[in-house]
Amino acid sequence: MAIETTKRTMTLNLTDAEMQVLETLSSQKDLSKTAVIRQALRLYQLVDHRLASGEKLFFEDEAKRQKELMMI
Amino acid sequence: MSSRRKSRLKRAGKNELAPADIVDGLSKEELLATHLDWQPDRLEALKGLLDAKEPWPEHWHWDWSKKAGLLDFMAYRCIGIECEGRMQGLMMASTLARSSRVGPTGRAVLYVEYIESAPWNLKDLVDEPKFSGVGIALLEAAIELSEEEGFGGRIALHSLPQSEAFYRKYMTDMGPDQSHEGLCYFEMSAEQARLFLEGGK
Repeated sequence: MAIETTKRTMTLNLTDAEMQVLETLSSQKDLSKTAVIRQALRLYQLVDHRLASGEKLFFEDEAKRQKELMMI
Repeated sequence: MSSRRKSRLKRAGKNELAPADIVDGLSKEELLATHLDWQPDRLEALKGLLDAKEPWPEHWHWDWSKKAGLLDFMAYRCIGIECEGRMQGLMMASTLARSSRVGPTGRAVLYVEYIESAPWNLKDLVDEPKFSGVGIALLEAAIELSEEEGFGGRIALHSLPQSEAFYRKYMTDMGPDQSHEGLCYFEMSAEQARLFLEGGK
């Protein structure tokens, strides 16, 4: 995607549980909280578009020979 | 809209540097224009190889026009390097972080989906390439994008067999990845990225 240089600031209201998840992901991935939120947006945009196009999202565990359809 | 920053390319076979621009955030239109610019040279070179009964490069079928749709999404970014009015190389990266497999595992890594030099810069296609160092310049741009994304300079890619020796000089070879047609997976740690940038400047 073409780069967008202008950035806007917003306040994010999260519950304690949501903030805990954000902090854990931030720590595990070595990313700032803003970067984690950006990652979530990118993933959501991509997945939402593909689902809207009629595709399905699966998780597969080759070792257990399991395939799980994600209902989103 | 794309942005530009200064870079350089080496005139192949000469000890001479040419000013170049890293063009960051190519639009679909810019990518398609590059595809159209490259196509006649690519086809002519492939025809030459066919006539000479020489093997074709492994990525001969890559079609950047078919990758342009990825640029509808924030998860992809296309970067080129332009010199003397023409795009000399292209790279498509996924800014959707992958998990590192080298060093501290599970850290965010920028994944390079595709990287290619213009057909007139490829030794496999022409006897006398015009510019060299296109791959190095684009890897530098990938590291800088990784830093900008907060990934610490970490990058990864799957390499075609013809390019493995090049990547092995700078990245850790994790061996064939069966989930990716058996292509070797390479990763550059934050430390390797730092050393790469120091060596390149």
